[in-house]
Amino acid sequence: MRPWRHRGWRRRTGLLALGVLEGRAADEARAHVDGCARCAEERAGLRQALELAALDPVRTAEPPLGMPALLARVNARLDAAAAARSPLAWRPAWLLPAGALAASLAVLLLLRLPHPPSTTRSTPAVVAPAQVAVPEDVLGRMERTVTRAQTARYLDEAQDLLLTVAAPRPCARQSRRVDMEQEAERSRELLARRALLVGTSGQDVASARPVLRDVEYVLREVASLPSCARERDLQAIQREVSRRNLLMKIDLMTRELKG
Amino acid sequence: MEESDRDLIGRLARGDREALGPLMERHYRRLYRLSLSYLRDPDEALDAVQEIFVKAFQNAARWDGGAEVGPWLTRIAVNHSIDRYRRGRRRLAAETPLDEEAGDRDARLTTGDPSPERRVLGREVGERIASALRSLPERQRAVFVLRHYDELALEDIARVLDMSLGTVKSSLHRAVHRMRERLEGLR
Repeated sequence: MRPWRHRGWRRRTGLLALGVLEGRAADEARAHVDGCARCAEERAGLRQALELAALDPVRTAEPPLGMPALLARVNARLDAAAAARSPLAWRPAWLLPAGALAASLAVLLLLRLPHPPSTTRSTPAVVAPAQVAVPEDVLGRMERTVTRAQTARYLDEAQDLLLTVAAPRPCARQSRRVDMEQEAERSRELLARRALLVGTSGQDVASARPVLRDVEYVLREVASLPSCARERDLQAIQREVSRRNLLMKIDLMTRELKG
Repeated sequence: MEESDRDLIGRLARGDREALGPLMERHYRRLYRLSLSYLRDPDEALDAVQEIFVKAFQNAARWDGGAEVGPWLTRIAVNHSIDRYRRGRRRLAAETPLDEEAGDRDARLTTGDPSPERRVLGREVGERIASALRSLPERQRAVFVLRHYDELALEDIARVLDMSLGTVKSSLHRAVHRMRERLEGLR
């Protein structure tokens, strides 16, 4: 048999081993292989390779996340993508609730601050705050609630940011780069807020500390990105988020903190 | 009565996110395995599946009503996996010796088998297959994965990858021969 003709059969032998030949083409290929030792050997080798490939554990691998969690993540990404497209995407949405929390804290601090000795006792209105009797345990509970609420909100917003980072926009100024200007800026804001979180060293949010550390680490990475970042740098961050299961941990911790 | 995939995509096109759940329920395992067979990294594959459904939602309005939904999702998955794989290769080339990181990823693919012997075999097979797949040119790799893992008919592979049937056949033929060479001696 001339070599070029055999090459043609070789291709058909391969397709026969793969089981993708049908009808007359399959019959012809089988007939040829039966009378051609080289082709028969070829078919046997290919079949063996395919049998081995069939043992690949990937064929039966199960996703490490169940449907509800996966659906929640997809919805979160869609929310993040929608928010990123909105002109109000980067309005400081936390300002109002953070302001409310700050006001609560201010009231708490006012209540707890030792008041200077009053020089006059003639104006009862002035001494009134000092006379508000808030039991120590009630104050403690209020402080705990505020700390936990603040921490939960911070984690919530960090999660929003990480989801936005997962769906980057291309940078308009440089090809093959992604626009990280807003995300880096937002990370810096969040880090600044993290520094202002009070009470996170105490027992109130002890269980959140590992997550807080992880979030802080990732935020620092994002904050250090240039406005037009290299895709691979961003991917390294995304991998880190994924490796640490950070989004899921934030979810769980936020729920725990919110009670 | 259970809604068809087409109905669900129609709802997505109208912005109804509730349709995502049933659509994902039907396809996410298949798309996960497809992405995993291509990317060989469970984290990457999981991330890819999420992106596939994000893209499906975002592009549902542009979906050709006459097309089948399954192959359409497969096409998104393959394009996304190819894109991720390319980026991953560039990153690996820049950061990590390929085999070191690949070995680490492949090791994570072989959990869940109760028998230690089978686990070892599964791991070895998984690593060798991953390495063999990495050696394939992009087109052959995509064709092989769609045939071997997703068990698509050649005509469907041609549609998904926008190739002629002849090109699919020759790519598959070359891919299998190359796989054979790379898997030789495993048994």
